[in-house]
Amino acid sequence: MTQRPVKVTIAYCSECGYEPQTLALAGALMTEFGHDLASIELIPWYDGSFEVSVGGQLVHSMMREGGFPEHETIAQAVRSHLKAEEQPA
Amino acid sequence: MPVTPERFAQGMTYDEYKAQMTRNQERFAANERGLELAAADLAAFEGLREPLHVLVLAEDWCGDVIDNLPVLGRIAAESGTLDLRIFLRDQNLDLMDQYLNQGQFRSIPVFVFFDAQFNEVGRFIERPASVTERRARQRRDLFAQHPEFGSPDTPADQLPEEIRVAIMQETTRLRAATKPDDNREVVQALREIVERAKT
Repeated sequence: MTQRPVKVTIAYCSECGYEPQTLALAGALMTEFGHDLASIELIPWYDGSFEVSVGGQLVHSMMREGGFPEHETIAQAVRSHLKAEEQPA
Repeated sequence: MPVTPERFAQGMTYDEYKAQMTRNQERFAANERGLELAAADLAAFEGLREPLHVLVLAEDWCGDVIDNLPVLGRIAAESGTLDLRIFLRDQNLDLMDQYLNQGQFRSIPVFVFFDAQFNEVGRFIERPASVTERRARQRRDLFAQHPEFGSPDTPADQLPEEIRVAIMQETTRLRAATKPDDNREVVQALREIVERAKT
């Protein structure tokens, strides 16, 4: 079975100083998933946003959940998406 | 833990703060220059019987600090009645956690006004509620005027890049256009605090 790589997007408030949290999450995902990631898209956004989508599905929103996500929460979402997208080799 | 004169004195002066900024210096300076301070507003601060100490929590990456600290800085410089000391939020969490926004959030800037005996007179956190409401209204109106932007609830990553860019450009334009109104709201909020010190 092969896994179809997954895209992760992080929309972060660029005037809120969220760069360290954004880069830390991106780095953690890069380290764990390597080529299982199709891409990581970083979107400078506004109004206190920190939204993480995995495979087009919103898995964390600061507005909704409050605060930043645990890296493991996002990693688990990536793993789930990879498993769901498994294809015969 | 109340703020003591000794703790207050550990803060940077306004000029020291500006000198150590590593980003947004030009925007900060432009906001300082661009403030129109009405004579009646300045007089409200000049009329203080005794100077007030103002403890400030700030960071140079924060948009609300860049917008609102220059307003306080100009008022302090022109009135001569506000003694500012500025602390970097992330290095002074003992202070920050005494002035949480809604008891939860480490929002900045924080301006805490003290009398000569370091009794708190009032505080200003982040931005006036009226400015927050105006921005929300602008956002709703923007999406209503531009149906091609879709729903204001659409997550950023689901917007085409050209739409995201257009939204950011329009938002930036609208905020620049209403900056004088925002500044007036900030000045009014600070006036209301110092008026309490006069009673």
